[in-house]
Amino acid sequence: MRATRPLALAVAGTLALSACGGGESVDTGGGGGGGGDNTLVAAVSAQPDQLDPHVTTAYASFQVLENVYDTLVVPDPEDLTMQPSLATEWKTSDDGLEWRFTLRDGVTFHDGSEFDSADVVYSYNRIIDEELSNSFRFQNVESVAADGPDTVVLTLSQPTPNLLERIGSFKGMAILPEGAADDLDLTTEANGTGPFRLESSDASSTVLTAYEDYWGGAPSVDGVEFRYITEPAAALTALQNGEVQWTDNVPPQQIESLGDDDSVELETTPSVDYWYLSMNYARPPFDNRDVRRAISLAVDREAVAEAAWFGAAQANQTAIPEDSFFYYDYAPFDRDVDQARQLLQQAGVTTPLTMGLMVTDEYPETVTAAQVIASQLEEIGVTVEIETLDFATWLDRQGAGDFDAFYLGWLGNLDPAAYYQEQHQTGGPNNYQGYSNPQVDQLLQQGATEPEDEARKAIYDQAAQLIVDDVSYLYLYNPDVVQAWAPGLSGYQIRADKAINFENVELP
Amino acid sequence: MVVLAGVSVIVFALVHLVPGDPVRLALGTRFSQETYDALRERSGLDQPLVQQFVSWLGSALTGDLGVSFRSGDTVASLIGERLPATITLAFASILVALAIAVPLGTISALRPRSLVDRVATVFSQFGISVPEFWMSIVLILVFAGTLGWLPSGGYVPLTEDPAGWLQRLILPAVVTGVVSGSVITRFVRSSVLEALGADHVRTAQAKGLSSRQVFTGHVLRNALLPLVTVTGVQLAYLLSGVVVVEIVFSWPGLGQLALQSVQARDYPVLQGAILLFAVVFLVINLVVDLLYTAIDPRIRR
Repeated sequence: MRATRPLALAVAGTLALSACGGGESVDTGGGGGGGGDNTLVAAVSAQPDQLDPHVTTAYASFQVLENVYDTLVVPDPEDLTMQPSLATEWKTSDDGLEWRFTLRDGVTFHDGSEFDSADVVYSYNRIIDEELSNSFRFQNVESVAADGPDTVVLTLSQPTPNLLERIGSFKGMAILPEGAADDLDLTTEANGTGPFRLESSDASSTVLTAYEDYWGGAPSVDGVEFRYITEPAAALTALQNGEVQWTDNVPPQQIESLGDDDSVELETTPSVDYWYLSMNYARPPFDNRDVRRAISLAVDREAVAEAAWFGAAQANQTAIPEDSFFYYDYAPFDRDVDQARQLLQQAGVTTPLTMGLMVTDEYPETVTAAQVIASQLEEIGVTVEIETLDFATWLDRQGAGDFDAFYLGWLGNLDPAAYYQEQHQTGGPNNYQGYSNPQVDQLLQQGATEPEDEARKAIYDQAAQLIVDDVSYLYLYNPDVVQAWAPGLSGYQIRADKAINFENVELP
Repeated sequence: MVVLAGVSVIVFALVHLVPGDPVRLALGTRFSQETYDALRERSGLDQPLVQQFVSWLGSALTGDLGVSFRSGDTVASLIGERLPATITLAFASILVALAIAVPLGTISALRPRSLVDRVATVFSQFGISVPEFWMSIVLILVFAGTLGWLPSGGYVPLTEDPAGWLQRLILPAVVTGVVSGSVITRFVRSSVLEALGADHVRTAQAKGLSSRQVFTGHVLRNALLPLVTVTGVQLAYLLSGVVVVEIVFSWPGLGQLALQSVQARDYPVLQGAILLFAVVFLVINLVVDLLYTAIDPRIRR
């Protein structure tokens, strides 16, 4: 059986090349059985819920889609600044209200059809008109229009300096061919311009094959098989015994010991995710700034990060991680139990004060870390009652404002507006805590339209300082991205935004 | 049919009673109110609950179980895709379970307090009390990790790669087989003991039949009834998916699908899956009843 496998795969490869109708699913024969010689097998922790890039919100889906679709611009793998992709250059009008994108020549979709401006207009209007999950990213966009086949013009209602981040930060803003939603069943089929084409997807794995005519040059591997292995110990075993060559599902408690293990290559990099605790302003005494500051002073962020990620996380008193251009070095809350007690007294709070802390088993590390927070707060007379809920119930209670405090994270942020705007603006859609500070509102408004990066940074630094001082969020840590692969695998780059791109990967 | 109608009402009510909003879960954390309303309308969740039930039942009767909120795929295809893996594992586990339980239970009943009896007691205690999760991880670390004899998990259809199919089936089937087997062992032991003490067995022995004749003709047949019952129950349980084992061994079965649907509050898939489990229980009960009549002539009358 083993000997016939590469052959079967080669045949499937030729079939895939000659089949131009799009949407055919050719069985590679190696689907679940180990892949061919030059196919990368990657162990991911979950099955994509569906493959329509404009509809899904699941990370498991974007791990696959990252390799199938393109966007007009993409984050640079090193510093996450926006770089050309399907758009080669762009110009902004003097008033900042018109952006002209010049499109790349010679790009074809996986079915062989040419890419042009009509595809961009179609894709963006699909997101806007059908009110799909990313439509909020176009909230300042008044129109998307083609100006000839090579140019797309976006007209805005107000200057939007982070427009590139809005349209390029992830493949949720992918460019589909015109009419794709009618021609294909996008939940299971794909037709992109990316380095790999979707071959098949079932309950065990998703298989991609190299797209030879990719505009960036054909990938080095013949294909990629994403195999779903939910249990981290099993994923690591599969990597160690050679069943898979790459995984991002590493048991956190083993990160340290794997550093000296020759059978795997482990890499970590600080991510752009941040985790925080948030208290309900509508529930006294948490409306009292001193009470929130006391609690912030009582938390030892290092210990919380250690409990959650066994050292694979950096404690941070603000949201933005150290490697980012917008990082603001501000840390007023180093643990001080005496001062915390004093603040509580000052606020006239009688201890013991009971605080419910809502966590979700969707993120099991927060359940563990919450116990550390509880024991730290116990020292200043705050009794934490941890409520562990499933995510659906958790979200319900968050939406209804039915909580004293909760502990969660924001993932995949690139622009400071994404870090602060919706969470801290008065009445913002994700301001569940009910924070309101006119000064912050004004700064966030200013930051959203300021075109100069340095000036923007200064504005967001001020906003961040107020948000931290007021403890709208009690920032805890930025976890690392942790990935491991077979020794000798090359051309792969670990990224802070957790995008997984196998375009240039070469097998050992 | 009456049972199924009742089940469908209960299923629908229970599924919708659980707190949690599928639309919010599907949209993640960043979305606008317009997006929320649009998706809610598209999924039909803005309709009154009674109307949702009537339209769901109407389509279910024609065999249309609806479309998953989460994946946009039909419920029938989502379930159909996972059925082969679930059936494979369920029957393999029952085979393992019976291969352990029948000899072990019988011998320990025939020779109470012997070494075999003690082994059987320890075994069934072990199988019932050791968490499946732990047993699965240990087996993976030993057989896939240290020894490297078997793959760490996954599933390949039998038709595609028979050797790979068998290799991947062994470990999960052993775990679920040991758990089911330890339950069945206890039943076998007690039912054989009971049959041994029955009057007709003493009569048969007094008649001068050899112990072998007594055992096969009079003990085994009577002990078979409870065995069939408990095996049926175990099989029905296995066919509705073994979540923990499926997750640890990356086995694409119904248990994982049901779990994902609960987490996403994917009502159509959840209703479809539970309805299927109800049908499985009914069918297995029917088969068990038919087997009863085949085994025991007294029931036929």
